[in-house]
Amino acid sequence: MTNQSPHSPAPRARISWPDVLVALGLTVLGVLLFVGTQQIQSSGMNNIVGPRVFPLIVSFGMTLLGVLLLIGALRGERAEPASEEDTDPDAPVQLGAAAIILGGFLIGALILVPLGFVFGTALMYFSVAFAFGERRFGLMALVSLLVAVVTYELFTRGLGLSLPPGLLKGLL
Amino acid sequence: MDALHSLFAGFGTALTPLNLLWALVGVTLGTLVGVLPGIGPALTVALLLPVTAKLPPVSAFIMFAGIYYGGMFGGSTTSILLNTPGESSSIITALEGNKMARKGRAAAALATAAIGSFVAGTIGTMLLTFAAPAIAEIAVQIPPTAKFALILLAFVTISATFGGSPLRGLISLFFGLAIGLVGTDLQSGQARFALGYPELLDGIDFVTVVIGLFAIGETLYVATRLRKDKGSVIALKGNASMNREDWRRSWWPWLRGTALGFPFGAIPAGGAEIPTFLSYTLEKKLSKHPEEFGQGAIEGVAGPEAANNASAAGVLVPLLTLGLPTSATAAILLAAFQQYGLQPGPLLFVTNGDLVWGLIASLYIGNAMLLALNLPLAPIWAKLLLIPRPFLYAGILVFSTVGVYSLNNSVFDLFLLAIFGVIGYGMRRFDFPVTPAIIGVILGPTAENFFRTAMQQSNGDYSVFVTQPSSAFILVIVLLALVVPPLLRARGRRAAGRVGVQS
Repeated sequence: MTNQSPHSPAPRARISWPDVLVALGLTVLGVLLFVGTQQIQSSGMNNIVGPRVFPLIVSFGMTLLGVLLLIGALRGERAEPASEEDTDPDAPVQLGAAAIILGGFLIGALILVPLGFVFGTALMYFSVAFAFGERRFGLMALVSLLVAVVTYELFTRGLGLSLPPGLLKGLL
Repeated sequence: MDALHSLFAGFGTALTPLNLLWALVGVTLGTLVGVLPGIGPALTVALLLPVTAKLPPVSAFIMFAGIYYGGMFGGSTTSILLNTPGESSSIITALEGNKMARKGRAAAALATAAIGSFVAGTIGTMLLTFAAPAIAEIAVQIPPTAKFALILLAFVTISATFGGSPLRGLISLFFGLAIGLVGTDLQSGQARFALGYPELLDGIDFVTVVIGLFAIGETLYVATRLRKDKGSVIALKGNASMNREDWRRSWWPWLRGTALGFPFGAIPAGGAEIPTFLSYTLEKKLSKHPEEFGQGAIEGVAGPEAANNASAAGVLVPLLTLGLPTSATAAILLAAFQQYGLQPGPLLFVTNGDLVWGLIASLYIGNAMLLALNLPLAPIWAKLLLIPRPFLYAGILVFSTVGVYSLNNSVFDLFLLAIFGVIGYGMRRFDFPVTPAIIGVILGPTAENFFRTAMQQSNGDYSVFVTQPSSAFILVIVLLALVVPPLLRARGRRAAGRVGVQS
């Protein structure tokens, strides 16, 4: 086993602001959950434990844990990004790639019904392939459409699901 | 022997041609997703749930069981041929197996992993066959207070006790619990956290959460820090096979790994990571060639792989007898049972005996199929590692979209999916484990139900949880599981600090 120690508790470590923000966000989430429980009507006549009790416990727990995380973050603790099969821990972080995927996905979701499943998912496929660094545009377009059409046929004919045909209504 | 009799009846169910076909589909899909990075058995079962709604439950569960076992077999191929461990439970296999592969012993490493998985899976399934009905018989008498306490125990062990950071695990769990609360409360009819969206009144489907956190989160995360070199996939010539010496050195590690793995799976300890590490340490200690460890020792592949698979069988014991999932995949299997209107637990053996025993019988069949599928076909599975990543991850995203859209034919769900994808990205970036959130979403509503039933029976007396002996006993364990590991860790740090000062 390698002797790695990701959490090196250096006494005066520099504060990592992203970690503080995440901890702050979680604390705020806990408080918002508490505010949300106040909007639950506890009308329950024959209920000993109404619909509010469990959410209250969850909101208290979330707030407390968020505060603990915040204290840690302000003392200089920081999270170690996960390492996955296809990631390189030393690679420069490219948030743009994630933005491209997310953008392609959202536009694809918006056109899924009006233009059809095939075009929506083809756009999603294309944007992921692009974000992962593929630049053979002809091949990408071809594979995108092929995957979308085959998926559509497989799920509508093979498994009896109904997916929106859109522009290709009558053609597929 | 009651269990044997029921098991034979189960084989009658599982050996029909159609169910054999579903088992084959399951193990093939399972191996496929086990080999491919970015997608695993938990995600696959979640993706298939909306699609399989029309299948008879027995066939669906036989297929899911195949995916569950197949994923374990497939994972070892990836870690041996590609030196980048995916799941934490295959880190060890990657360590020794990849070294073996680099020395030209890939075939032997794959063979000892596959045969070891088969041996462990079969012995584990036998233990399940006899342990499960016995435990179910006891479990029938468990009162709601103790059931609630058991769920608390699963929550704590999965999120806090065995994870890297208890605080981050618990935050992930509470996030899952909060998501599980969204929607109409069934007992009072009140809307909770629906934020005025009518789509949220039915609650957030756990499929959307699982696919968002796993598939979309993973795609976004990998895209931002993609490994640029192609990764060195080691070419495999011929079948996976071992020589006489390899067999001699593999037998005992397989059996010892099984003995370690099964009990760890059966207690709510959250996965196969610990028994694989224990098995590795044990084999290193017992080996006549400890100097080979770290350089490609076959025992270091055989033992941990067996432990991995035996724990997968062990996980099914609390799932089937108590309705208590102890891993992400088990949680999704639990949700699958609920989708079919079945509640796993002791009564399942009485009310749906044919289904449970058909499922258990199919585990034996699936294991044999997996051995046949993995030894001669290993070179074909190895080829899957060569799929270019842009096309692979794009495909995963498209299938995720189909799975989530077909839940309700609703684009709203796709926006939810995107939100959970971003959260899944954040969890990887900021080191929050995903499994506790999944367990929270799926088990949270059940926990609330047991809590309310217990309170109803005690007329609102909260002390019932500590006065009822079995629940009091479990609550003490819960407390220990929460408090002891951090104390041990702190002591370990202090000890390490002293050593550091002295040297």
